Amino acid sequence: MLPYLAKRIMLAFPVLLGVSVVVFVMIRLIPGDPAELMAGQAATEEVVRGIRESLGLDRPVIVQYAVFLRNTLRADLGKSLFNGAPVTEELAQRLPRTARLALASIVVAILIGVPAGILSATRHLSWVDSAVMVLALAGVSMPIFWLGLNLILVFAVRLHWLPAIGHETWKHLILPSFTLGAASAAIIARMTRSAMLEVLRQDYVRTARAKGVAEQTVIGRHALRNALIPVVTVVGLQLGTLLSGAVLTESVFAWPGVGRLLVDAVLARDYPIIQGTVLLIATTFVLLNVVVDMAYAVLDPRIRYE
Amino acid sequence: MHKRVFPILLALSVAAIMVLPSFAQQTGGTLIIGRGADSVTLSFYASAAPDAEVMGHVVETLFRLTPDGKIEPLLAESQRLSADAKTMTIRLRRGIRFHDGTAFDAAALKWNLDFFRNPANAVPFRAILLGELSDVTVVDSNTVQLSLARPFVPLLSHLTHNFLGIHSPAAVERGGGMRPPTGEPYGRAPVGTGPFKFKEWVRGDRIVLERNPDYWGSEKPRLDQIVFRTIPDSGARVLALEAGQIHVARAIPPRETSRLAVNRALRVDRAPSVRTIFFGFNVTKKPFDDVRVRQAVNYAVNKRAIAQTILGGAVRVSDAPISPGVWGYAQTMTYPYDLQKAKQLLAEAGYSSGISVTIHHPTGRYLEDAPIAAAIQAQLREAGINMRLATLEWATYLAFTGRPVDQNEVQAYMLGWGTVTGDADYGLFSLFHSSQWTPAGFNRGFYKNPQVDALLEQARGETDATKRAAMYKQAMDIIMKDAPWLFLHSESQLTGVRREVQGLIVHVTERMMAHFASLNR
Repeated sequence: MLPYLAKRIMLAFPVLLGVSVVVFVMIRLIPGDPAELMAGQAATEEVVRGIRESLGLDRPVIVQYAVFLRNTLRADLGKSLFNGAPVTEELAQRLPRTARLALASIVVAILIGVPAGILSATRHLSWVDSAVMVLALAGVSMPIFWLGLNLILVFAVRLHWLPAIGHETWKHLILPSFTLGAASAAIIARMTRSAMLEVLRQDYVRTARAKGVAEQTVIGRHALRNALIPVVTVVGLQLGTLLSGAVLTESVFAWPGVGRLLVDAVLARDYPIIQGTVLLIATTFVLLNVVVDMAYAVLDPRIRYE
Repeated sequence: MHKRVFPILLALSVAAIMVLPSFAQQTGGTLIIGRGADSVTLSFYASAAPDAEVMGHVVETLFRLTPDGKIEPLLAESQRLSADAKTMTIRLRRGIRFHDGTAFDAAALKWNLDFFRNPANAVPFRAILLGELSDVTVVDSNTVQLSLARPFVPLLSHLTHNFLGIHSPAAVERGGGMRPPTGEPYGRAPVGTGPFKFKEWVRGDRIVLERNPDYWGSEKPRLDQIVFRTIPDSGARVLALEAGQIHVARAIPPRETSRLAVNRALRVDRAPSVRTIFFGFNVTKKPFDDVRVRQAVNYAVNKRAIAQTILGGAVRVSDAPISPGVWGYAQTMTYPYDLQKAKQLLAEAGYSSGISVTIHHPTGRYLEDAPIAAAIQAQLREAGINMRLATLEWATYLAFTGRPVDQNEVQAYMLGWGTVTGDADYGLFSLFHSSQWTPAGFNRGFYKNPQVDALLEQARGETDATKRAAMYKQAMDIIMKDAPWLFLHSESQLTGVRREVQGLIVHVTERMMAHFASLNR
């Protein structure tokens, strides 16, 4: 297992290197000049040129990339072009906020999605099944803006139960994690349902029932555990998506996380922030994939990594 | 001269949310202001309104633009401009201290002005605000003399600009200095003389200011704290206001105002702004090199209908290139909606069979910018002008429209300009003088009229206010006739305010001033 893990982690480096090249070149190909944006509307050409030079943006792209790569290997992601704050500092401040929101959302999604999926599968083709699947469809198709603003309207403006915006206490976490978790819950519910339906048709489930095992045990131990492999994969991918920052949810709830940082940076052509954030997101995805693969071995004794 | 009384329109153009009689005012409390964008830097390297409105509470300028449009001394006590408009002597108020306890005096002022005007420091607003300043001399500890390279009357207005707020030199040094291009690291925690002291800044989230109990002015701050919160989504900002989580919501969408009007817990304040919205024509390129085509577009667009339907009446249709909030404004000729006249002008210009043009516009930058562009497209079609819309995100947009004349492919572009010094020079010189062709300045349509150039130059040196105003009037009449723009409107600032808030000022220069505001509990 350990050599396999080491190999997987080694393989991550070429992936991240590729990501860094693509991002670096792409953001410099799109029109828009960070120096001009920084200088503001009233700035003269001389000011813009001065800023460009002071930021090193007048050097050839290949030189800029070499500097970036050398610094990144020393854990220095550079400074924001816009406010001069170190990128690592900015990410360190925002990642915990995004992580808190992502974890709360995935918990919400699992707590809703998995039981809903099981319920749906065990009541296959009943009205319960149809109701769950309609709700799931609604969950995936509801725009985050719409859901978020409506939740604020009901629970903050009308009922005064929860705060509308902000990220200070656990109360602030409830509305955004429901908003963000809704779509993931729907996807997890659908995945759980189809996996369970398949497993429930297997011979060993019929055997378990035939020998008189209680239905709860059949579902919980014999069926669910075997149905979990695809579900875990989906949960892992969803968590990756959530961790890379939920831009819309973060905007609606004034939640200053990684997603908003990235969008603001793209609009402002803040190259170091874009590069740092994308690298962080890529790393998160790569690591989560490894974790998901490891989870397979725990769930299914037949899977062994040599 | 130093207390110019502005026209009555100017007084109307600044909306002060009325200050109740002083017995109703309470002290204490935290005022929370929700706004769409965070500040970038709170130093000389500031370049936008979100920076200016926070700085205005912490660092003070020598002079200030009052809500009713006068220029008053603030850190200065008085000033005198020499007859040739080349020397300004400023006497400073005595006994003022910065928040760090050091004294504000002539030496501190000289340090600030010298830093700002030193080209090596690359301050973004150097050229436009203090470009004409050639020397700063300390006469005595409370008197400073400013020498100008050329006569420059607007200097007094420029000294009211928030970006020229005076910082504590000792604090700048202790804070690690102000380094280009963002004023780091000092720019994260400014120290001035204002009624509020800087307390905390969580980037992307909030800026917290606290009361300066030792404020020098006769009127004292009442609030304990002011918090500027960043809430990017305008819908969420309105809901947070309704939920009572914030006291003030900046830049409310026009479509929300009628819904909020029935809510007794709050009010919607409509204040004018000195920001003028226009479509600029590239006058060096066909078809807009012909003045008749430019005039035709002005006649063919129904600006009043756009103001009413798309913007809910929240704007003022332009009758000059600058808005009434600006000194030097005067009503000029206008282009009423007249389709026949537009068609006739196009025919005279040889385009009776119609024209096809591409218009560049940003999205999400100005109030309803993209819908306005679409409405203009539909209206121009009636006149036989086929307009293709090129919608660009702001950074790309600036890059496209900011190219030098020989590389500039843009035919027409939508922009806004805020004349934030409150003086016509700032609103006309950078936009219409031929020395200001982009990228040197902000004349992005390459307009050039020697008569306008001469008038704008002369006005800079004219110390007689009446004569100076007449020069601007004459220049604006010519500009209007030349029609280098499609003149649209000046924006309004829609602000949602909870009832308990008193004494808040939404300034015509797009800043929120809570210096002496209070909360009724």
